[in-house]
This record gives sequence, structure tokens and C-alpha cells, in this order.
Amino acid sequence: MSDKKAIIKSENFCFYYGSKIGVKNISMEIYPKSVTAIIGPSGCGKSTFLRSINRINDLIANIKTKGVLLVKGHNVYDKNTNLVNLRQQVGMVFQKPNPFPKSIFDNVAYGPRLQGVKKRSYLQQIVEEKLKAAALWGEVKDELNKSALALSGGQQQRLCIARALATNPDILLMDEPCSALDPIATGKIEDLIDKLQTDYTIVIVTHNMQQAARVSERTAFFCLGELIEYDSTVKIFRNPAKKQTEDYVTGRFG
Amino acid sequence: MRFFIRHITDKIFTILTVLSVIMLVAILAVILVPMLRKGLSAIVFNGTIEFRKMQLDLFSRGDIDELKNEDIRSRLYRNKIYETIESFKQNIDSETLSDKAGVIYRNFGKELQRKNIKGAEYQKLRSLSRELRDKLQAVFKSSDKKFIQENISDVLKFKNDIAFKDTSIDGLFVLAEDFASDIEHIDLSRRQQYAASLKELENIITKLLGPNPSLPVPALKMDRYGATRRDIAEKLLNRLLWLEQWQQDSPGKPMKRVITPRAELFAGTEIEPLFNYIRENLDEILVFKPAFYWQYFIDDSTPGHYFGGVWPEILGTVFLTLAAMIFVFPIGIISAAYLAQCQSDNLIIKIIRMAINTLAGVPSIVFGLFGLAFFVLYLMPLFGGPSKPCILTAALTLAVLTLPVMIRASEEAIRSVPQSYVEASLGLGAGKLTTFISVILPAAMPGILTGIILSVSRVAGETAPILFTGAIAFGPTPKSIFDPTRTLSYGSYDIAIGDKLAALVPHNQYGMVATLIMLVFCLNIAAIIMRAKISRKLKGH
Ligand SMILES: Nc1ncnc2c1ncn2[C@@H]1O[C@H](COP(=O)(O)OP(=O)(O)OP(=O)(O)O)[C@@H](O)[C@H]1O
Ligand SMILES: [Mg+2]
Repeated sequence: MSDKKAIIKSENFCFYYGSKIGVKNISMEIYPKSVTAIIGPSGCGKSTFLRSINRINDLIANIKTKGVLLVKGHNVYDKNTNLVNLRQQVGMVFQKPNPFPKSIFDNVAYGPRLQGVKKRSYLQQIVEEKLKAAALWGEVKDELNKSALALSGGQQQRLCIARALATNPDILLMDEPCSALDPIATGKIEDLIDKLQTDYTIVIVTHNMQQAARVSERTAFFCLGELIEYDSTVKIFRNPAKKQTEDYVTGRFG
Repeated sequence: MRFFIRHITDKIFTILTVLSVIMLVAILAVILVPMLRKGLSAIVFNGTIEFRKMQLDLFSRGDIDELKNEDIRSRLYRNKIYETIESFKQNIDSETLSDKAGVIYRNFGKELQRKNIKGAEYQKLRSLSRELRDKLQAVFKSSDKKFIQENISDVLKFKNDIAFKDTSIDGLFVLAEDFASDIEHIDLSRRQQYAASLKELENIITKLLGPNPSLPVPALKMDRYGATRRDIAEKLLNRLLWLEQWQQDSPGKPMKRVITPRAELFAGTEIEPLFNYIRENLDEILVFKPAFYWQYFIDDSTPGHYFGGVWPEILGTVFLTLAAMIFVFPIGIISAAYLAQCQSDNLIIKIIRMAINTLAGVPSIVFGLFGLAFFVLYLMPLFGGPSKPCILTAALTLAVLTLPVMIRASEEAIRSVPQSYVEASLGLGAGKLTTFISVILPAAMPGILTGIILSVSRVAGETAPILFTGAIAFGPTPKSIFDPTRTLSYGSYDIAIGDKLAALVPHNQYGMVATLIMLVFCLNIAAIIMRAKISRKLKGH
């Protein structure tokens, strides 16, 4: 594993909401074409860290960072970072499915259109390809002009994944993507994640230990804004190095 | 116990809400239903022959042959009125009579010359006829019946004089005989009063029946027709039959209204029966028929809104509203976007917000004066235009007036767009502007349309802001946005303040108000349908 070069690398990364600490001193490397899970109790800064990677946290006023967060070797919080490029390389899937109130087609085509793709046939090709990649094509291929909001929650979440894939990112950030879904829809998303990791680097935040164990190769355990332990998933769940981690994964936490 | 109290309070709350809704509906019904009903009277009413004549003359509508028949029949009745008045007028009008005598005398002189009568003969006839004329003229001026009778019999002595046989001087004798028979009923001492009363009577009759056909057609269209509707005709008939006077018993006492039959003014004369005649034959004189004047909405009106419709007013209102919306829409949305984006604890934002709220509460006349001072007197000359009120300045004034409403509604709408949309869009690499245009704006559209609905209703109905900035009561349809325009709101206002105009054409005032209500209603319905469609689309149905 360590022979691979890290695609995301943070060194003593700290994030502050005003004077309040979100995460502090996070140092970890995330490897390409694999699934990395982030687990930890509520409020420990999982989302904060994940959302720092594509700087979607910039929407919040008075934020400060310290340390380095590198994506493909570039410091994300550098002044000269091109946010558009960064966010196209680092796609994001949110906790609650949030398709735009537009047609299915327009949702998936949103990213490519931003990149300047205008030709309808090319757009169609992208939409089909990405919907297939998100395992949604079979269900919606006859009604691409239907509003995305008419889909079920699980379908909506897969549509959001397809939409994120449509900008051709290298990295896909997922913040509790299954927390609003039922077990069957969750299973489908998990299968999808499994399939996608051959082409994409996936970082997933989850509260579901089994999910983390099922889908991820490596797992990071956060607590109170700090990275407690980061290792292969097997190790974290079978034989964690820290007492805190063991307490948490065995459910004795708190 | 606690449960019981909660139950009671819940019930009271429910009852109160239901009551308030019922009250709201009742108030709306109380205001709107009579307004619309009265407004409808501008379209559906009992029309007179004058109305149909006007429609034919001005708009070539109606059945010519039928109208001709009706006209011939009504003329029969009308002629009696005109003849009676004419003969009475002659008898009391000493000047006209004297003039007539003078004309006959002069014509007789010319006749003599034509017949080549000269010398002493000519002198004799000439002086005799002059003498007769002078006597008659003295008679016409006098109010002493004895003197009149003596003089007239003096004059008539010459009736069978050989020298006057078959000459035009005959007219003098006819005049004298007619006068003698007519004055039997006339109190000559009241000639002056008769003349004044008759003038008033004729005035009312002209208003009721239109101008006397023997006189030249009046230049103004509004003077060419009589009462066009039964309600107006009845009002005029009332004025014709009853004389209203203000009297004061003694100095310092309040004035008192005294109503007497107008016929009393002409007691004993040939005019007296005329009043009953008109009352009894009003149907035949004016030929009432139900009229459905839907063209009210597409006709231009005569000055003063005596006849015709409100098309220019409708056009003006729509144009003005749309023009104002063109300014309000982008400015309102951009300001709202700015305000929605900023944290609300910023001092500058607080000041801006306060200014907007204050602006929303300022009386509209203040906006009118501001528009006059700023747009008309300052901005127009600044851009090299004439400093005159026009559609542009009125629209700008209305835009300023309604901007706060628009900004508040839009800001609310933009704020309520889920943050997750914004995050999704930004997460896909979109810029702020793209996100705003392609995600936030469509999602906020229903709320923004609510703002537009509120603005349109306000703008279309406002009068005060356009008083000095671009509204006129009469005038041609505007050719560009640099011309002033007529509007429904200003039109009804003008009728309301116009001298006695509201009493003369109440149907028109109500018609305008009802049209305005319906217009705003239609505009709102259109916006509401649009909003419903967009909301449905946003919800994914
Ligand atoms: N916008 C914000 N402004 C201020 N503080 C925030 C903001 N968002 C999060 N925080 C704080 O930062 C800390 C980390 O929050 P974060 O959302 O990253 O937790 P999390 O691990 O994702 O929790 P959960 O599992 O509940 O989603 C929390 O203490 C939280 O209160
Ligand atoms: Mg979270």
C-alpha cells in the first residue's frame, strides 16, 4: 500500500471556525483508487476535514486554516488555488441527496456544461456514461427529462454521484451518503462505491461501522477534532492500536 | 384540568382563525361586489337613442335603418317641445320681436324700391310703416296690458289699408295678432324672469335630448348628444321637473334647501304643460333599449369621459406597470441577492435594511414629489431630454415606490433556497454568478413572483406618484415613453375631483375602478399561474 504515492496528503492541518477549532493537527495520507473511511463520534470534525479538501467550507465566514493540505501535490489553501479546477477534480456527495430542481439530464449535464460542453450529442453521451457508472441508467433511461426530484431518495443519491462523476474528478468525497437511505438503497450505493474505486479515489465519512468495514480499505478514526488512529480497515476493526479506537469500534464509547 | 384548559384554548384559537377569515372575506365582498356591480353598469345599461346615435356617428356601430325609424318617431315628440319653447320664447323676447318688426320694415322699404314707387307716395308709405313699427316695438317692450291692447288695435286698423294690400308689411300685422293672442296667458311683468328660467330649461333639455336639430352641430363631440343612459336621463328629468334653491330665512341662519316644481315658474303659460308632457313621453322621446356596451374596454372616450370607453387608460396602465416592472425586476433581484448574501449583523447592511423598510412605509405622494423633483426636473434635463412628465419618469417613480416590496420578497425567496443547492453547484466547480443564475434564481422564482404580484398590484393602482410625473386625464395616446399617458387610476381620480363630473358620469368612474380591479386581478392570475407552474416544476411533478 505504502508503495503508492498519496493523492491527498495533510500535514498538521488545522481548521478554525472563527476562534473555535474544527480539526487540529491532522496528518494523514490518502491513496489513489481506494476507499478511505473516516469514522468518529458526532462533532469530532469528520465533515470539517472532508469539506476542507475541496474547500466547500469557504462558504462559511471567518474560517482560518493552519498547516498544509495537498491534493495531487498542490496546497489547497494556497492563495493561488483555482477553486474551479480543484472542485472539478474533487467531487462531492452530500449527506442528504441534493439534486437540483431540474431534469435528470440537466442535473448530470450541469458539470460538463460548466466546462463548456455545448454539443447535445456529446452531452448525451456523457450523461449516459455517468448514469451507467452510477448504476442508475437502467432505471431512468426512458425519462431523462423528468424532474430529478421525482426520483426516490436512493435514486437521487445515485444521481448526485453521477452528477459528481460527470466533471471527471479524481477524488470523490462522500459525507454520510447513506444516512438518509433505507438498507436496500444503502446496499446499492455500497456496491456502487465498491465498483467506483477502480477508477476513483473515494473518501467516505460514515457513522456505520459495518459500512466502513465493508467498503473501505483504510479507516481513519477522529475524536474531538484530532486524528486518533489511521490504518488499514482490518487493523482498525480487529486490532486497533489505541484504547479509544477500540472503545469506539466495539461500541463502548462514551 | 390542564388538559381541559388546553382543549378550551385550542378551540378558541380555531374559532378565532375561522372568524378572522370569514371577516376578511366579508370585508372583501362588501368592498368589491358593489364596486364591480356599479362598474358593470358602464357596460350593461339601459341605453337611449342618443347612445345609439353616438355609436353610429363615432364608431359606425348599429343598425342605420332601425335607428332612422326610431329617430323619426322620437322627432314627432321632440318637435312639440321645441315648437312650444320657440313660440313662448318669441313672445317674451321683446328684442327678438322688435328685431323681427325691424326686418319686416326694412324689407318693405326694399319692396317699395323694387316696385319703383317714388316721391311723395314712397315717403308716405315709408313713414307710415315706420310709425307702425315703432308702435309695435313699444308694445313689445311694454308690460302694461292696456297700453298694449290699445296700440295693437291701432296697428291693426291699417290691416285692410289698400296701400298695404299684398305687401310684405303684412308680417307686422301677423306679428301683432299673434302677440295679442299669446300674451293673454303671459304675465308680462315677469318677462325677465321667464327669459332666465327658460334659458335654464333649454339648457337642461339640451343635456337631455341633445342639441336642437335646427341649430348647427356643435364642434365638440361631447356637446353633440343628449343623455345616453336611463339613469342619467332620469337624473336630468329630475332636474328638469324640480327646481332646487338655497334659501336663508334671515341673516345668520343656516342655508336651507328648498325644492319646488319647476313648472311653477311658468304657471299659466304654454310651457307649464310641457313638463308633464316630457315626463309622460320620456320613453318615446329617448327610446330606451337595453345596451351591452362591451366596447367600453376598447373605445376611446370624449374629453371629460362623457361618452366612450377606457381603452387608452387600460393601455396606459399596462404600459406603465410593465415599464416600472422592467426597472424593478433586475434592480430588485440584484439588491436582494446582495442582501441575502451578506451577514445581517454588518452595520452597513443594517442601515441599508432600515432604509428599505422606511422607504416601504413612506406615503406615495412623497414619491410623487420626489419623482417630480428628481426624475422630471433633474434627471431628464441632465440627459438632454425635455423636462416634462412622461411614461419614463412615471415608471421610474413607481419603480422606486415598489422597490422595497420587491427587494424584501426576493431576499426572502433567495434566502430560502436550500444551502445544499448552492453547495452542490459550487462543488461542481461553478462560480458564484453561475450558481446564482442557474440554480438560486430558478429555485427562488416562486418567491420572486410573489414580490412581482405585490408590486404589480401596487403600481397599477397608485395615483399619487404619477400625479406630477406622467399621468394626464385627457390627451392623445402616447407615441413613445417620452409622452405622458392616461391611466385608470388617474382617470378615476380625475373624475372624482372634476367639477361635478363624478355626479354626471358616475358609471364611468366605477367602470374605471372596476376595470382596474379586473386588470390587476388578471395580471395577478397570470403571475399566480406562472408561479404555480414553476413551483410544480421545482417540486418535480
Ligand atoms: N459552520 C460552523 N460554524 C461554527 N462551528 C462549526 C460549524 N460547522 C461545524 N462546527 C463545529 O465544528 C465541530 C466539528 O463539526 P463537524 O461538522 O465537522 O462534525 P462531524 O464529525 O461531521 O459531526 P457529525 O458526525 O455530527 O456530522 C463541531 O464542534 C461543530 O460544532
Ligand atoms: Mg458531519
